[in-house]
Amino acid sequence: MKRMPKKLIATAVAGLLAAVGGMAVAQPAPNDAQIAGIVVAANSVDVDAGKLAEAVASGKEVKAFAHQMVVDHTGVNQQAGALVKKLNIAPEESDVSKSLRKGGDDNIAKLKTLSGKAFDKAYVDQEVTYHQAVLDALDKTLIANAKNAELKDLLVKVRPAFVAHLEHAKHIQASLK
Amino acid sequence: MSFQHWRLARRARTAAVVLSVIAGSSAIAAPTTHTILIEGMKFSPPTLEVKRGDSIVWVNKDMFPHDVTEQQGAFRSGAIPAQGSWKFVATKRGQYSYECSLHPVMKATLVVK
Repeated sequence: MKRMPKKLIATAVAGLLAAVGGMAVAQPAPNDAQIAGIVVAANSVDVDAGKLAEAVASGKEVKAFAHQMVVDHTGVNQQAGALVKKLNIAPEESDVSKSLRKGGDDNIAKLKTLSGKAFDKAYVDQEVTYHQAVLDALDKTLIANAKNAELKDLLVKVRPAFVAHLEHAKHIQASLK
Repeated sequence: MSFQHWRLARRARTAAVVLSVIAGSSAIAAPTTHTILIEGMKFSPPTLEVKRGDSIVWVNKDMFPHDVTEQQGAFRSGAIPAQGSWKFVATKRGQYSYECSLHPVMKATLVVK
């Protein structure tokens, strides 16, 4: 049981790490359509995990956090959807977005094998790692490469939410120890 | 200037003085409305001082709901949707610590004098 979170974390954030590291996978800088695709994928992955945790988590605080993740990341995706429509950008899949989705699916598959406190811990551990990885991607890759000013602005506006979610998740993580 | 004109002018001056006194005093006493922005997961300004009777409007500029929850239960907005707002009239003096209960890392203070 102890080794599982590490494994699933590794899979789930592989895409983001690739986006951050760049050289590890030698990926070219993402264009705006790919950045939009990464934003949509990143939010969707956390919405899906949140929906599962909302239903399965046993701790009240974990359940409430999961619900909040669903609400907030759905809100971000709605805003992102409205913007890309306005800008006429079709979100494009890339290796990063695909890897994110794959990581998200693997995470959910693992979480489905857990219950009770083990589920709560695995979900929250993953949320800490996930939000940190998205923050790193925003700071090192996504914001810097966004060409369209409104897309860049959206990424900048979204950033504080990831910081707050990360702090919130870390707070819960500490209480679960 | 005829006497009649002089009287009219004097009345006008008196009226102007009376009006400005009323306006001045009401400017001091009248409650005002303050705005606190909720943006980028922060309450801005983080500390606001108001007078008793003033109104405070919290405006949510973020992409998802927030709320305003006083820690001792003095006031609670309920969820304020994205681009929504909530108005509160401060009737009791005191220093109130509040947070967004949905995102407990968001904390701020309202001081009612």
